[in-house]
Amino acid sequence: MSASPYDDRVPRDLPDLTARPAVPSARSEALRQLFYELVSGVSGGALALFMWGHMLFVASILTGERGFDWLAEGLEKVYVAQPTVFAIALLFLVQAVMASRKIPAQLHERRKMREIAAQLKQKPSLPANALRLKPHLESMLWLWQVRTGMVILVLGSFHMVLVGIDVLTPLFGERTGIEASSSMARVGAGLWLLYALLLVCVEFHASVGLYRLAVKWGVGSRLSRGTLLTLERVIFVSFLGLGLFTLVVLAGWIDPPLALLLESSP
Amino acid sequence: MAHESTDAARTLTFEIFRFNPEQPEVEPHLQSFELDETPYMTLFLALNRIREEQDPSLQFDFACRSAVCGSCGMLVNGRPRLACNTLTRDLPDVIRLHPLPAFQLIGDLSVDTGVWFREMHRRVESWVHERAPFDPEAPEERMDDELAQAIYEGERCIECGCCVAGCGVANVNPRFVGAAGMNRIARFMTDPRDARSDEDWFDVVSTEDGVFGCVGLMACHDVCPKGLPLLEVYAYLRRRMLGAGLSRGGSNELLQIEAA
Repeated sequence: MSASPYDDRVPRDLPDLTARPAVPSARSEALRQLFYELVSGVSGGALALFMWGHMLFVASILTGERGFDWLAEGLEKVYVAQPTVFAIALLFLVQAVMASRKIPAQLHERRKMREIAAQLKQKPSLPANALRLKPHLESMLWLWQVRTGMVILVLGSFHMVLVGIDVLTPLFGERTGIEASSSMARVGAGLWLLYALLLVCVEFHASVGLYRLAVKWGVGSRLSRGTLLTLERVIFVSFLGLGLFTLVVLAGWIDPPLALLLESSP
Repeated sequence: MAHESTDAARTLTFEIFRFNPEQPEVEPHLQSFELDETPYMTLFLALNRIREEQDPSLQFDFACRSAVCGSCGMLVNGRPRLACNTLTRDLPDVIRLHPLPAFQLIGDLSVDTGVWFREMHRRVESWVHERAPFDPEAPEERMDDELAQAIYEGERCIECGCCVAGCGVANVNPRFVGAAGMNRIARFMTDPRDARSDEDWFDVVSTEDGVFGCVGLMACHDVCPKGLPLLEVYAYLRRRMLGAGLSRGGSNELLQIEAA
């Protein structure tokens, strides 16, 4: 009969706790925190910038299927598209892990943060009889960043798997690679709903993230916070507008408005 | 949009949080008081009138009446403010007062900010660490005027606790140094009389309880009754910590962490 691990009368080999320090030194722990912070900031910033480029590539559908296919094929021929899918997927996971370390683990803690944000009013002096005022802006932006981040984690993963299959296998469409026809068929068949939600979340998450990154490191500290916020909103609205328009074209609801650009060339 | 105090006098309704830890049988509740508004009435004046005229058991703190002592911080309609420099004419007819969260409650609107700040100061060691033993005979070291002003700016903190109460992280993590702590750190970091190097600071500041615990809600900056540039302090500490981490072989250690 083997000894039960819970039987404390059985003498066992105990680990030698004196062999190495039980806790890491304060300095290496501090270095680790700095490293996490850098990785989270850099991966987030890089993903936000990538999304801008991504948006411009997808918007090539505005010039029609030919333009979209030409660009996609071009990027696949020189093997830019394939490694990019893997690199972005990796960056995506790294950012998800690093950014979520700041989200309190316990529900009551998150609720506490929400309460603090909600009760802290934006303008304490305004209307005479109302206790109902807008909650503190940056606090609410952060809460929505957490929420949109969760949505992006799910829908973005789905999208990346889809695009990965597209780029690496001939499963969708006629050839290996991204094709306008199969993408449009997918989006038109109903995926537009997911993509619309993903688009709003990504544009919000990225623009607010860049704004917060700028404030955190004091980048553009010569600009006031109001100016940075305005910049954030302009970026959000422009990319959201362009994205929604692109999505409508991708779904096949309106014809590509810039198709004549390519038609004129022989 | 402030109310003209010369207009028809308002009757203000104060909804005040009441709880005395020494009488736990009485549940925490909001108690309403009505008071006619007088010209230039501050919350401090209003609370004193309520205590004198309506309920002598009401607990709240004050000392200086001029936004210097930092005793009268409280939640005014959900926002951390000082009672002494908040005019009732800037507030709606219904004024809801709560004690500052994140601190231990003494009773009603009175909280113990002292325990929190003492612990913060102890961890930050917020006093000048002298380079050499003090020599009373030696002439005082000269300091650049600009630098002296910058240090003075950091010293303007009155430790009222508004930034801590408005901070989402400080309300969840009692060990987080908060904006008041970061302001204190930056004040000694900029002081040339302080012997601590960036490497010394690094272990304390570049932590989850230090500058990297902050998620950037920016509420501290918005609620500070003294208008301290807390966001600048925060960004400054982050950049200093980046410099300290990368200097003196720190970058090699960073790479080792990455590899591990």
